[in-house]
Amino acid sequence: MPQELLLMLHPSFGALAILAAVWVFAETLNNAEASQWRIRLVSLAAALFMWSSYLLGGYWYVRYYGADKALINAGPWPFAHSFFMETKEHLFFSLLLLATYLPLAAFGLTPGQSQVRGLVLWVAAWIVLLGLSMEGAGAFVSMGVKVALLAKTITGMSP
Amino acid sequence: MKDPGIEKYTASFALALAISSLLSALLVVIKERNADTLLAWMKAATGHHWVSHGILVLSLFVVLGWALAQTGVGARLSGNALSGIITGSLVLSGLIIAGFFI
Repeated sequence: MPQELLLMLHPSFGALAILAAVWVFAETLNNAEASQWRIRLVSLAAALFMWSSYLLGGYWYVRYYGADKALINAGPWPFAHSFFMETKEHLFFSLLLLATYLPLAAFGLTPGQSQVRGLVLWVAAWIVLLGLSMEGAGAFVSMGVKVALLAKTITGMSP
Repeated sequence: MKDPGIEKYTASFALALAISSLLSALLVVIKERNADTLLAWMKAATGHHWVSHGILVLSLFVVLGWALAQTGVGARLSGNALSGIITGSLVLSGLIIAGFFI
């Protein structure tokens, strides 16, 4: 599998996990009898998507990120690595724990059980918030590579 | 006593999540400040410090979740309290990590 495709799968699975968490949040607001099987199924999907994002992104990070890191650090946006990538790669563990915990909480949910309902709502909301933050941080890292390459090209073209 | 209606594993793993997230953030600071010792060991253990970090955090989550369920600590807490603990932990973890790298 080309490494670029592998890299694209990372935010794609992340986006799917975010969408699944939004779905769980909306279904849990309703928390009807008919919603229960969907909440359980989609919470499992959210965990599966987040683990896929972690494993694919993690493999790419360990295997290929070194070259991008060197480019970013030599380019005009070194903070794309020193702040955004460093924060993203470490805060991702909290997001992974949340996504892993979501089905555990969701399977304890029953209609009208407000204590667990609030817990599921908070966990799903945090997955959405942190997930979107990860997507945003990833965009900064990509732009860090892009401006570094542009700077190299412009420097190479100058007389 | 008011029964919050939360199963023991739901409560214990909620606490495990909060504790593991916070300890993960602290581990970031400690390993980065001890590049020659802890960070070097984490690199040597798996080939990459981030892989070791992930294994440690996930293992801690599973072990803590199981251990806390045996003690029944989380059973005394309500859903709102657990939500608050998770939220507090995530906010603090985010501030520690982002604050360290800013």
